[in-house]
Amino acid sequence: MNRHSSWLLGAALACVSLFMAGTAAAQVSLEVMNPRGEIPPPPTRGISPRATSLDGKKIVLVDNGKFGADNFLYVVAQLIKQKYPNTTVVMDPKPSAQTITDLPKWYPTVKQQGDLFVFGVGD
Amino acid sequence: MPGVYFTTTEFIDDAKSAAKDRGMPGIRMIALPADKYYRARATHEELQPIANAVFDQMIDDLVRPLTADEAKPSQIQKQKENTNLTVTGADYQDGYQKVNDLFLESRWADGLPIVPPTPVLVKAMLAATTRSPGEVLGQVAPKNGTATVEKIAVNAVMAGAKPEYFPVILAAMDGFLDKHYDLTHMQASTGSFTPVVIVNGPLAKELDFNSGIGMLGHGWRANSTVGRAIRLSLLNIGQTWPAVNDMALTGRFEAYTFFTFAEDEAKSPWEPYSVSLGFKPDDSTVTVATSGTPIVLGGGAVAPWTAQGILDTVVARSSSPFLWVHSQTFVLVLHPDCAYELGKMGYTRKSLQEYLYEHTKVPFEKMTSATTGFGHDSAITEIQASIDDGRIRPDRAQIFRDALKPGGKVPIVQSPDDFHIFVAGGSPGYSLLFSYPGPNWANETKKVSGATLTKAGH
Repeated sequence: MNRHSSWLLGAALACVSLFMAGTAAAQVSLEVMNPRGEIPPPPTRGISPRATSLDGKKIVLVDNGKFGADNFLYVVAQLIKQKYPNTTVVMDPKPSAQTITDLPKWYPTVKQQGDLFVFGVGD
Repeated sequence: MPGVYFTTTEFIDDAKSAAKDRGMPGIRMIALPADKYYRARATHEELQPIANAVFDQMIDDLVRPLTADEAKPSQIQKQKENTNLTVTGADYQDGYQKVNDLFLESRWADGLPIVPPTPVLVKAMLAATTRSPGEVLGQVAPKNGTATVEKIAVNAVMAGAKPEYFPVILAAMDGFLDKHYDLTHMQASTGSFTPVVIVNGPLAKELDFNSGIGMLGHGWRANSTVGRAIRLSLLNIGQTWPAVNDMALTGRFEAYTFFTFAEDEAKSPWEPYSVSLGFKPDDSTVTVATSGTPIVLGGGAVAPWTAQGILDTVVARSSSPFLWVHSQTFVLVLHPDCAYELGKMGYTRKSLQEYLYEHTKVPFEKMTSATTGFGHDSAITEIQASIDDGRIRPDRAQIFRDALKPGGKVPIVQSPDDFHIFVAGGSPGYSLLFSYPGPNWANETKKVSGATLTKAGH
């Protein structure tokens, strides 16, 4: 490497160093706080054990009252009757003003009427 | 009791989220194709192929033995949401952009740029109240996130609120988190409800809330950023997101700032709304209420109108058989000219509430033939149930018992007070009727307290 090219390399390194120093000086770190609320996790519960067969069972079709749910569950009821003749179908419209917060009130009435349930159509 | 839950492909994320929120992540669900179900749901014939397609899965879900995880799911772990984040940029502009990108990608923002909530800015916000940063105001639906004063301060900074506004924001959140307020319905319902936030008292003027022309519009920092701070607090602390667990089908009208304004007490012929509730004239208050889209009343600057005509329209638009009489409320915002005319006609706020209560009653005979459009109970059955289980207050129950018979006239709200009447808007102006047709209560007024930076609100 001759003297001339050494000088060029030195100048280039100096420029890069200056640029890096400049970049480091301008770099900004912003510390920000998390806006989300902490959620106390609810105790988890498993779902109910399934029926071993549908023979002799009563299935409660719970209609949530939304438009068309009764029609859909009616069609489901016909299919159950056709394909599982030993199964009884109970149609149960959910009281319309009962929301999810009222679940403890209306769920027992479903339980009294059968062995299994189908709920629909949720939105 | 073994069961299967039907929903649709548009709501499956929401359903799974709700099941997890309630500690039952293993609920077996079947998603009907939304693009087919909603068009077909009117007839059995059109629903047949949809039911055929899912029938075997439904049966299988009822009889297939549980997996170990379905039988005993592992405990959901608490997400840590209290750790500060550090974002590095080449310069301030780059850092600011990166914070905004991070927050929106994390679903912590509303789509507009936010002010980075640095500890310094949050501390300045907290200095505007004597309330402790760790004070818990309540749990925000639908995920029940814990609303502390500090978390609300973080969101208020993001919204661009001045620290002076913070006690008003806290009072509004006190209202939404009142144990009687159904926040879940507002936050999650397909009905696309929007909160109304109305400020009364000396702080409204001191903080320069707009109560005149353009009161629902842009240009006033107090209206815009108080509303936005509430928007962001509900979004972030309740952890909602459109099409995931906020199912407002159209989104909300006034989505970014809600309907936030002040009563124009100076132009009202009556005492301030807050004083009519029993608050003192030097108290500042915030009223929050869930609402559908408002009905615009009157002729504005271009068409003739009369105060009586506006009342007639309010009656005509709100008097109909209704299921949820126990929780129905109206927020009627009269523009100053209309309020002045009504005052001249001799109405007080109280007598006007009574007028509306009386004239919106529905004849019993109309109730018997009414289809309510939701559910299977008639309005009569539902109102009777509300009397029996106490949702209609015992002191009002006899009025409804007497009305539910031939010749009776059934009120559409529990009492005249459920017409909440405010004065605001331009002159000339339009009046607005906000109504809430939800199944549970959603209207509260709270006093602003603990302010340290303003003359009022201490």
